[in-house]
Amino acid sequence: MSETKPDKNSRKNVIKFALGMSLICSLMITAAAGGLKGFQQANIELDKKINLLKAANLMDGNKKLPKEQINTLYDNHIRKIIVDSQGKILDTDSQNSMHLYFFQTDDVIQGYILPINTRGLWGKIQGYLAFENDGQTVSGFSIFSHSETPGLGGEIESAWFQKSFKGKKILNSQNKFVSVGIAKGKTQNLPEKDQEHFVDGISGATLTGKYLSQGIKSTLIKYEAVSITFRQKTLKVREIK
Amino acid sequence: MLKDKSEYMEILIRGIWRENPVAYQVLGICSALAVTVKMSTALVMAIALTVVTAFSSLIISSLRKKIPSNIRIIVELAVIASLVIVTDEVLKAFFYDTSKQLSIFVGLIITNCIVLGRAEAYALANDPIDSFVDGIANGIGYGLILVFVAFLRELLGSGKFFGIPVIPQFLFDAGYQNMGLMVLAPGAFFIIGLLVWLKSSLTGPSPEKR
Repeated sequence: MSETKPDKNSRKNVIKFALGMSLICSLMITAAAGGLKGFQQANIELDKKINLLKAANLMDGNKKLPKEQINTLYDNHIRKIIVDSQGKILDTDSQNSMHLYFFQTDDVIQGYILPINTRGLWGKIQGYLAFENDGQTVSGFSIFSHSETPGLGGEIESAWFQKSFKGKKILNSQNKFVSVGIAKGKTQNLPEKDQEHFVDGISGATLTGKYLSQGIKSTLIKYEAVSITFRQKTLKVREIK
Repeated sequence: MLKDKSEYMEILIRGIWRENPVAYQVLGICSALAVTVKMSTALVMAIALTVVTAFSSLIISSLRKKIPSNIRIIVELAVIASLVIVTDEVLKAFFYDTSKQLSIFVGLIITNCIVLGRAEAYALANDPIDSFVDGIANGIGYGLILVFVAFLRELLGSGKFFGIPVIPQFLFDAGYQNMGLMVLAPGAFFIIGLLVWLKSSLTGPSPEKR
């Protein structure tokens, strides 16, 4: 390699080159991140809708639907609801208000979906947990964002894991709140009475399971008032119109 | 500066076959294990790596007379890292599902030895167009192995081809089972090992043994 300039390696030149290089690279990254943000945001919005529909069992997770169909399904079945800490439905956002979703067919409320937002092992885990309108049976679960280890904790986004939540109860036989959680290992090793409150754990992902169980429990406690209105059937559909 | 076609063919063949990055140089094994469970992820990964290798070689080669040699590696990494981040952003914008499945492996292209290896071994000593072709050749060489490994793993491990089931139901009824080993990383180890063996027996052993 022939050197064109003898001072290529001089200290001044090294610093100049490094600064110039950093500036160009950072400009390039900023341009890409800024320019593509709109597309990425649209993808995330759509992905949230898909996961809400999946949690509500209105869409098969393995099938891919066109964007318009997802939007129609979403608009027809899912409704965003704002409640206060007592579970009363509000018209607008206020202090301490919480968000959840109702899913319905032909104006009959089939159940409700709670947003799960918890810490995982490496970062936030975000997903949805759906309940039937008896206020205690899980009807579906989905995850749309996490940063767990692929192949281990990352398995929380696989279909077998999410499907295993279906039919689990958050109340025990005395109608007391116990939440649902992720077992350490298989549920069949647990005592009989616990089996309907736990799903099979993922081997190699004990901590992810632990954090997710805690996150689900704290969310359920926060929204318990809503669950009670469903259990007692005191929810008036008119209220939310 | 333009050369005739046969010279570019020569560079292409060397990268894709004679000095294949996976089967000959045994580079990029980590990601080859990770993304080859399904063909779709393997294909996207192959394309992403080809783009990054080609353009990083092009940029580094055009700067090769200006890069101070004592900060050479850092400059190369800065170029590669920027390209990888841009690629990741593009994937997130236009191939959201696949990008979710590839998760951190796109970001890990930065640490893929093939990219830095080509920059160090080839781009610093050759002119930009040659380097660009060399980057494409190595990307394709890596990609072909990846797609082939993914083809075997997806077919044997989950009985599918690009996500479409291809093993007929009557075989399952007759007692056929998907091979669980193929879904796990060791399955890829076996296939890549066999490929390296096949490659060496066809073109002779690697230079260390010669």
